[in-house]
Amino acid sequence: MKTILFYIRKLFAVVKNEVLVLPSRVAVIFFFLFILLLPFFTDDVYILRIFTLASIFAIFAASWDLLSGFTGQMNFGHALFFGVGAYGAALLNLHYQIPPWGSIPLGALVGVAAGLIIGIPSLRLKGTYLALTTLAFPIILLGLVFTFPGFTGGELGISGIERLAPTRVQEYYIISVLMLGLCTIMWAITDSNTGIIFHAIREDEIAVRASGVNTTRYKLLAFCLSGFFAGIAGGLYAHFMRIAGPSTLEVSLSFQVVIWAIFGGAATIYGPIGAVFFLYPLVEFMHVLKDYRILMFAFVVLLVLLFMPDGLFRWLREKVEEECPRCKVRNIATRKTCRVCTAPLD
Amino acid sequence: MKMFKRLIFVPVLVVALTISIWANAFAADEIKIGVIGPMKFVQGISHWNGAVMAADEINARGGVKVGNKMMKIKLIQADSNEFLSITDATNAMERLITKDKVHFVVGGFRTEAVMAMQDIAMHQKVIFIGCGAAHDELCNRVAKYYDQYKYFFRGTPFNSTNLVRAAFIHVGTVAEVIKKELDIKGPIKVAFVAEKAQWADAMVPAVQATLPKMGMELVGVWRPSPVATDVTAELAGIQRTGAHLIFTVFSSSVGIPFARQAGELKVPAIQVGINVEASKDDFWKATRGQGNYVVISATYARDVECNELTKPFVEGYLKRFGEMPTYTAGTYESIKMSLVDTIEMIGTLDPDKIVEALENRVYKTPPSTIMYVKDNLGRHTHDIRFGPGYATGLAVQWQDGKLVGVWPNGWKPAPGVEVTYKGMKPIKLPPWMYQAYKKK
Amino acid sequence: MSIVLDIIISGVISGSIYALLAIGFSLIFGVARIVNIAHTAFYMVAAYCIYAVTNYLGWPAVPAMFIAVIFSVILGMVTYKLLLNPIREHEGAVLIATIAIAMIFEQVMSLIFTGTFLSVPKLVEDYFTIFGVKVFYQQLLTLGAALAIMLVLLLFLFKTKLGLAVRSTAQDREVANLMGINESFVAMITMGISVGLAAITGAIVVPLTILEPHMWTPPLIMMMAVVVLGGLGSLKGSFVGAYILGFAEAIVVFAFPMGAFLKGSVALSIMILVLIIRPEGLFGVYFEEER
Repeated sequence: MKTILFYIRKLFAVVKNEVLVLPSRVAVIFFFLFILLLPFFTDDVYILRIFTLASIFAIFAASWDLLSGFTGQMNFGHALFFGVGAYGAALLNLHYQIPPWGSIPLGALVGVAAGLIIGIPSLRLKGTYLALTTLAFPIILLGLVFTFPGFTGGELGISGIERLAPTRVQEYYIISVLMLGLCTIMWAITDSNTGIIFHAIREDEIAVRASGVNTTRYKLLAFCLSGFFAGIAGGLYAHFMRIAGPSTLEVSLSFQVVIWAIFGGAATIYGPIGAVFFLYPLVEFMHVLKDYRILMFAFVVLLVLLFMPDGLFRWLREKVEEECPRCKVRNIATRKTCRVCTAPLD
Repeated sequence: MKMFKRLIFVPVLVVALTISIWANAFAADEIKIGVIGPMKFVQGISHWNGAVMAADEINARGGVKVGNKMMKIKLIQADSNEFLSITDATNAMERLITKDKVHFVVGGFRTEAVMAMQDIAMHQKVIFIGCGAAHDELCNRVAKYYDQYKYFFRGTPFNSTNLVRAAFIHVGTVAEVIKKELDIKGPIKVAFVAEKAQWADAMVPAVQATLPKMGMELVGVWRPSPVATDVTAELAGIQRTGAHLIFTVFSSSVGIPFARQAGELKVPAIQVGINVEASKDDFWKATRGQGNYVVISATYARDVECNELTKPFVEGYLKRFGEMPTYTAGTYESIKMSLVDTIEMIGTLDPDKIVEALENRVYKTPPSTIMYVKDNLGRHTHDIRFGPGYATGLAVQWQDGKLVGVWPNGWKPAPGVEVTYKGMKPIKLPPWMYQAYKKK
Repeated sequence: MSIVLDIIISGVISGSIYALLAIGFSLIFGVARIVNIAHTAFYMVAAYCIYAVTNYLGWPAVPAMFIAVIFSVILGMVTYKLLLNPIREHEGAVLIATIAIAMIFEQVMSLIFTGTFLSVPKLVEDYFTIFGVKVFYQQLLTLGAALAIMLVLLLFLFKTKLGLAVRSTAQDREVANLMGINESFVAMITMGISVGLAAITGAIVVPLTILEPHMWTPPLIMMMAVVVLGGLGSLKGSFVGAYILGFAEAIVVFAFPMGAFLKGSVALSIMILVLIIRPEGLFGVYFEEER
């Protein structure tokens, strides 16, 4: 009994002293609550559908950020991982009757393999070369999809895939809880030593190599991790839509993920997730604008970039929080002195 | 801060939701029909036009008689954006069914999208009549998983197997004309050009097997991308083979540059087959008149009458929208003949009863007579019967800026049966074919 | 034998088209480090502009082409000044901004002209026959234009003061700035030239094909492949890369007619193979600052 009370008190203290002091952390808590409680406010399958898809794309966008935002390996063909994951899960489910809980991770492993396959030749390439080369991979795969229609279904794709769960609310919970979990894992990775090395590779690869780090291994690791998470997103998409078709490999999807990630703020993980949860429902509910929908979307993106080129959510965070110049701890912008070391904040 | 956006968002959603529910409560004596399609493109515009025409005609006569109540038809448009995004298409379908609470849905075009939309409609037990995708699989699903997919019906066009069957008949008909007109002794040489798409893949072995039996010689197979914009390379290859006839299978944009460049280069061969783009009025402008003499399968043609319903529909459509209906305007008959007539017959909106009644109906529509067939195992497929007396389609040819009907004109599908629709004209060969072959 | 002729003629023609597009794309990248995804969108705008002038004003094709080029150049410079220049420092943001610009152009065109397929008249009608292959004069024009533009561009870059400024900015932006070159102005002029090239390509190529709002994506990918293959920022590389991929496509179409749809995939695979051996492309140079 005492221990329980102790932990409750500890939790309370952590919430009070570590969470409530920073608006960004409060926002994250609210985000978790919103995702978990949404079905209690609406059982509208349409709204749940939009947020389920948003969850899938949030995993996808965050996985791009893990690779391209953090290590700076600009991937312009991220749809490859998504498509491979979707096709992988779909084929396994359809031909070997592997249920979704097996086919999605296996599909994600195919995504890892894809990460290795494009990671190895891409190791020697940098910057724009890498970006434009990676753009080519999903297009080449699309060519293969059309070459072997017996296996891939050609332009029809693979349909008749098992549903994730019998009801929409269940599907929503499976996908959204997975999203919260996977995104937390991704955030933890970027916050770990590995993440610091990823970050350093982007800033100055030669310096990292000079410090005795095998950058090749870390870059490949980034490709594989990113491929894994994107593959899961693809597998979830296939089981949710119950079709895995060529549209999962199209250039527009690759572009879309880059837009989400950079719009929200690259190299943050939370930025791309926030961007997806902001832009995807926005674009969907803008259907009332009919023909002007995509146009408005493009304008919103352009305007945000003009005024916040570092991304919307990073900009917002800079506005409400400030970093202590002495101890580098973040503080709410309204404070005059640092909450840890009491140094004056300017 | 992310949350802040969401906080505004949720009340907005809730308000929107309440309004729509509130609006629904007052619309009890309306039949709501969702029209789904790529509304920025000709296919979707035709879906909508056909549906509007049907709804207006029915509402003008007082509505639909359901039991002893008269109900008006209300159409709800949904832009599926399916050429660009499958998720948009499925979202639109879900919105139609759960938000707008439609009773029925008509439309759809890109097969990958229609399959995904089909799953949603079937799960919600809403009758969905497909007016655009031709793939057999859509109806195979009905046969295989009847209880789940029985709410799907094929509206237009007939399935790709039959489209191919019809195309072979057209090729045979034109080959006869070439033989007679140009006095060619040997077998007619045929170049087969099919866009690289799965539905066209199955045609390659079929063409290789069937053409020799029809007394023709296959000189080559070309597979351009469905969205290729330059086919001069393919055309150069075709010319080298000395083909008399180019058997085309195009459902996408490649049909336009192919016809235009073939016309400009005066390739001495006539194009026969499937070319969806060529069935639109804009084709003439898009090819700058170079698409002359192209023969294609079509559903409607000026002054051609398949039955007594054709003329009023085609003329009404022309008058109202200023252009010929394309096959996706089949939403008209799907609403008016398939749905409304069945509802009036049985006097209920219950989807299961409608499915049962519709399965057993044989009825006339502007382009054909519809009867739903069963497969070899005797299972319902909700697919359309093809053949004389039922859906046959037309072959039409571009002749100096007009699409004219050229088939069935004295078609003898079986001994003692001859089919000719009203308003048929003879097939014309391009003049440069005469120049190329008459000399020799 | 005849198949070789076919391949040569078809390869030269499609190579010239890619060269025209790639040179402009490469130029703006070399000078301003902008990966302009909207490059082919300007090509589309020019084509629609020609359509509008010939169709609604009833003008002949040649003056329509001039109007289209001028319009696109102005549009390109304004876009650069208003939308790209302020965020030049943020590489990712510039990239997305150009994607958004391309989407805006696509949407505006589809709102004005709808999604229907349109066509524009040729600058020169008719065709001629060479070794039994029929070739449009218009296609010959693409070859001529590719060569002529390459020549004019080289003259401009190596014989004029502005050309010198462009070259020095391309070499080192900061030092060029220190030497009194208005770097931002040079970048804007380069953007104008680059977009102008895209517009000219549009005027020459589009009469051979069709007009629709999504027409900018297929050439975009091939153009990027050409530029990467040849080496980013290298005009010579773009030129050579264009013909390599043009020939690769032609070989696929003629040698494997059943696999004609694979021509894009094959060309891209060649690009990747070359990059594995030479990561900076055929004629590319490593930019020190991009380490």
